[in-house]
This record gives sequence, structure tokens and C-alpha cells, in this order.
Amino acid sequence: MERIVLVGKPNCGKSLLFNQLTGLRQKVANFPGVTVELKTGQFNQFEVVDFPGTYSLHSLSKDEEIAVEKLNLAVDDHETKLVVCVLDAARLERSLVFALQVQALARRNNKAVVFVLNMIDEVERYGLQIDADALQAELGAPVYALSAKTLQGVSEFKNALPELVAQTTVPDALTIQLGEQTKFIERARQLNAAYGIRSDVVLKNQNRIDRFLLNNVLGGVAFLGIMFFLFQSIFTWAQPLMDGTEAAIGWIASTVTGWLGAGMAADFLNDAIFGGVGAFLVFVPQIMVLTLIIGILEDSGYLARAALICHKPLSLFGLSGRSFIPYLSGHACAIPAIMAARTIESPRKRLITMLTIPLMSCSARLPVYALLVAVLIPSDATFLGVFDLQGAAFFGLYFFGIVMALVVSTLMNLFTRKRHELNDMPFILELPSYRLPHWKPLLQRVLNSGVQFIKRAAPVIFIVSLCLWTLGYFPQGAGLEHSLLGKIGHFIEPIFEPLGLDWRYGVAIMMSFLAREVFVGALGTMFGMSGAEENIAGLAAQIQADGLSLGAGIGLLLFYVVALQCVATVAMLRAETGKSRIAWGLYVGYGVLAYCIAALAAHII
Amino acid sequence: MKTLWDLAANQSAVVDTIDTQLTTSVISRLEEMGFSEGQCVLCIRRSPFKGPLVVQIGDCVYSLEQSVADKINLALAS
Repeated sequence: MERIVLVGKPNCGKSLLFNQLTGLRQKVANFPGVTVELKTGQFNQFEVVDFPGTYSLHSLSKDEEIAVEKLNLAVDDHETKLVVCVLDAARLERSLVFALQVQALARRNNKAVVFVLNMIDEVERYGLQIDADALQAELGAPVYALSAKTLQGVSEFKNALPELVAQTTVPDALTIQLGEQTKFIERARQLNAAYGIRSDVVLKNQNRIDRFLLNNVLGGVAFLGIMFFLFQSIFTWAQPLMDGTEAAIGWIASTVTGWLGAGMAADFLNDAIFGGVGAFLVFVPQIMVLTLIIGILEDSGYLARAALICHKPLSLFGLSGRSFIPYLSGHACAIPAIMAARTIESPRKRLITMLTIPLMSCSARLPVYALLVAVLIPSDATFLGVFDLQGAAFFGLYFFGIVMALVVSTLMNLFTRKRHELNDMPFILELPSYRLPHWKPLLQRVLNSGVQFIKRAAPVIFIVSLCLWTLGYFPQGAGLEHSLLGKIGHFIEPIFEPLGLDWRYGVAIMMSFLAREVFVGALGTMFGMSGAEENIAGLAAQIQADGLSLGAGIGLLLFYVVALQCVATVAMLRAETGKSRIAWGLYVGYGVLAYCIAALAAHII
Repeated sequence: MKTLWDLAANQSAVVDTIDTQLTTSVISRLEEMGFSEGQCVLCIRRSPFKGPLVVQIGDCVYSLEQSVADKINLALAS
């Protein structure tokens, strides 16, 4: 299929143009370990490939390197017939530096180039104009002025595309060769001086809003407000959607198993498939809601400002300003948070952020905390006579998670700094203009985030779910205590002894690898209670009567703060870092750390 | 020598050279962003506690942290 390649600098409205050309049906190709995404869609009989926004053919980071490498390959490929360079009409100079480099690259490969002067509506709004014809003569390639947002000029461009693809000769006035770095910059400046619009006009609005949003006091208040909104959205507003998904899965499960009748097949479907794999589908709405909000923040231009505000305090711990939103999201669920880490510019800081996100107390830990706090602390106890002690304990657990994350990231930063200092990406951030986000690319991104998650996490979750189910189910009809899992629990009881815990807790901890909240139900089963999830107080009373020492209880709580007891997170880490070694290594690492902390607590208290 | 990091808010200056302590890829990126000799740069904002500063150069606004900004030398006259 004949291919059209779409390139441009970040924030030039390229994705929107891509959407206007191809409609909403597109495929996204991801590459493990990097944030590079190639979107492929179809326009008439042509395949259109949207490359990530890039500042230059000279890459700074691993991500850019891969993006540039893919671009080189695509331009070289004989299927590629046309390279579309998208320019931001209001920022001609900056867009042209990259566009001219691409033009030189295309000419080396004998490929036709067309320039798109996007966002022409912004220029016209200032009452200004750009002489596209004269620019076309200077560039020696066709120039189309259009606005992907208002659709002005888009149909003309669409009509011209087949002809542009069909042209065989490549007329080109560019005399600069690839590698003549400074000449591209000079040429871009020269063209901008002749045809571009005045920068102070463009930047006036942006700077006016920034005076408020980056103000030390008002900007801080606005930041807190926006972050509170984000936190609310993933925590409470996604809840009805999650409940709905859960109910839907439950309904399908009961219908299907009811139809199958009792037996092993029904048990398998009910517990391993719907209970195990189905349980993680519950997170899909949350991931999509978070992607939507972050997408709005990013497309509106605020995300860059938030990163700027957070940069200094977080850099003390070896993190980037952009680590803040992933950290905040991690308190709802680590999976969307790990995906949100894609916006971090430095690959090293991105990795550190991803590896420490699981230490944030996510919502799956809440039932575990609720149970153990109820066991250990009487509900009428107060802290310093004012605060409810149970509430204070919850706060302490969240706080402990954050402190651990900052300690671990500081250590990771110290140990990796020397090796990577030269390759690390410094904090250089463009503050884009404020714009109203367009729903089309946003919707695409939201759908894609859900699909990506299912594709990546489902296989691993299925396997783990299958293993745990088999171990817990056989020998058939024996119950969890006498199952293979129960036997393993008895066998490895000495491991849990230093924690002051017996085999029942061990089995519950093993079961909770699927998801932390399983701990409550599994422990309930061990105590001969069904439906412990709905009766946490009842189970807490039983555990109290059974006798759980304070030290062991606190140790167990701290264990759950630190341990990476979540197969979906491991699967996501594996996909995002591109290395199983890192994901499983982290699982073991946090497991050992959590074990040591718990043993220490059991010993001291 | 005065560097970009020394620029106070609402002050403008002319870029001179970029310190070669930075890697060549970072230097070339900065040049592509407009930080090259003779270009006028305006400081829009300074953050408290030595946080990143915000500058306008050409048609863009950028935020740079200290480790980068203090490697961009300014010509004395502004």
C-alpha cells in the first residue's frame, strides 16, 4: 500500500490533522521500553503513519532515537511516497528547523515533501497573514495553509493528496545537506523573518495566562485545585463505572455458570476466569478516566506548567517534575499511573518513577488496611486526644508509602547517576500555548489506553490466575486448607514465622498476588468465613479472638505497604520497561524489603 | 561571566555561547531551540527555591533548570 508519512514538532496540531485525514479507525504500534507510538490509519487508498512530535533529527534520548530511527526507515521504504511536514503557522521558525531537516532527509531518499501550515486560524485571528505562495517558492515544495481544528483548507489538502502522492519528480530548492546543522537553523530563522508572524503577538495571550497560573501564590492554589480534581476523578468518579463493570462481569459469570451447572468447569470459569481475569477488567474504566483527564491537561498545555511547578522539589529525590501526576494517580491504581509516566522526558527518571509508583497506597490496599487496622486498633481510641487513632493509622500508612517511594527513588538515583549522567535528558521544557483540547485525538487516546492495558496484562493475569486456582482447587473438594496451596502454606510456614504469622496468613499472602484485596477474602476462607469482603468487622473480631500480636499485625500492614503484591502491575511494568527482568526483579526486591520490615516490626514491637 | 541563570524576571539579554561542558547533543538541541549567538532572550519568570526559570526566545517559551541555564553564556550588552 502506498504510504504517507506525517511528521512535525510537538504541539503543532499534527495528531488532529492525522485524525481528520484518517477518521477514528487507527492502529497504534508501541515499542517496549520506550514511549514511542506510531499511529497508522487509512486515507482513501493510502496508509497514513503519524510519527511522534519531534524537535530534531538529532536525538537527545532513547525515545527520540527510536522515533528518528523509525522515521529514517519509513522515509527510506519504497512504499513511502510522500512526507507531510506539519508546521505550526504561529511558530514558523521552530517548526521549520525540524521540517527542513526532514526535507533534506526526504530528498536524499528521493521522496516528495509537502508542507502543511497548520493552525492558520490562529494567525488569522490576530488579523495577520502568511504568504503561503511565496513560502512555497522559497521551500521548493508545495505549501498548504489549513486548520485541522476549524477544517479550513482541509478538504483542499485532501483533494490534492492523491496527486501529490502520484508525482514522481521531486522538485526541491533546498541546498542544505543533512549534517549541516547550523544552516538549517539559519535558514529557518531567515524564512521566519520573511514570512512568519511576530512572536510577541503569538505569545501575548499565553504569557498573560501564565502570569496567573505560574504565580507563586495563585498558581499554587490553581495547581492544588487541578490536582484535587484529578484525584477525585480517578478515585470517586470512576467508581460508578468500576461498579458497573464489576456488576456486568458478575452477571455474565452467574449466567454462564448457572447454564453450566455445578462442577469443575463451572468452578474454573467462576473463580479463575471471571474471578481472576474478570477482576482486573474492573480497572479499565479507571485507566480510561485517568487517561482522559491527563489528556485534557496535556492538550490544553497545563501539563507542562504542572511539571515546571513540581520540578524543583521532586528533583531533590532524583525525580522529574512530571513524576508528580503518576505518583498522585498511583494512590488510586498503579497501572494508569505507570502509563502516565510516559510523559516524563528523561528515560532514567521515567524508569525510577515507574519503579517507585507501586509503593503508593493504591485503592486495592484499602480493604487490607481496613481489616488489619480494625483488628489492631479499637475504634474509639484517639491519637493525642483529638484525632481518631484508626484514621491516623491510615494516614500513617499512606505517608509511609510515600516516604518509602522517595527513599527508594533517591537511592536508585544515587546508584544510577554516574553511569547515565551523560545520556540523561536535562529538564528543557517547551511551554506550549494554551488551547482547548479537541475531542477526536483525546477519544482515540482514551480507547487506546484501555485496549493496551487489556492486551498487555491479560495473558500474565490469566496464567497466574490459572496457577493459583489449580493450587487452591486440587485435590478436588478438599477446601483451601487441605488443597495443594494449603499444603504449600504449611510447608513454608517457617518463612512466615519470623513475621509472627502462621500458615493461614502465608496462604492468604500467596493468594493475594493476584490482587491485594484477595487477601481479605482468602483469610476469611481460612477462618471459615465466606464473604469476608462484605463483613470486615466480623472477620476482624475473629482474628482478634484468634490472637494476632500487635507487632505481627503492624508488620503485616507495613508488608502490604511495600510488597508488590499485584500481578497486573508486574505485567504492566514488564510491558512498559520492555524487560521481564526489571518487573520480576522489582517484585522480588520489594517482597524481600517488605519481609524484612515486617520481621523487624514483629521483633521490636 | 553572566549566564542565563543570572537573568532576573522581565530582563532581556543576548545569547553569547553555550558552555561545552554540556554534551554536544544537548548543545545542538539548544541551538535548534533558538539559543544561538546573537539571539535575544527574555526571562519571563523565576521560580522560588532555585526552581526552573522560564524564558522566551524567538517564537517559543521554554523552561530550563539551573544545570542547563548556567551553561548558556550571555553577552554583556542587552
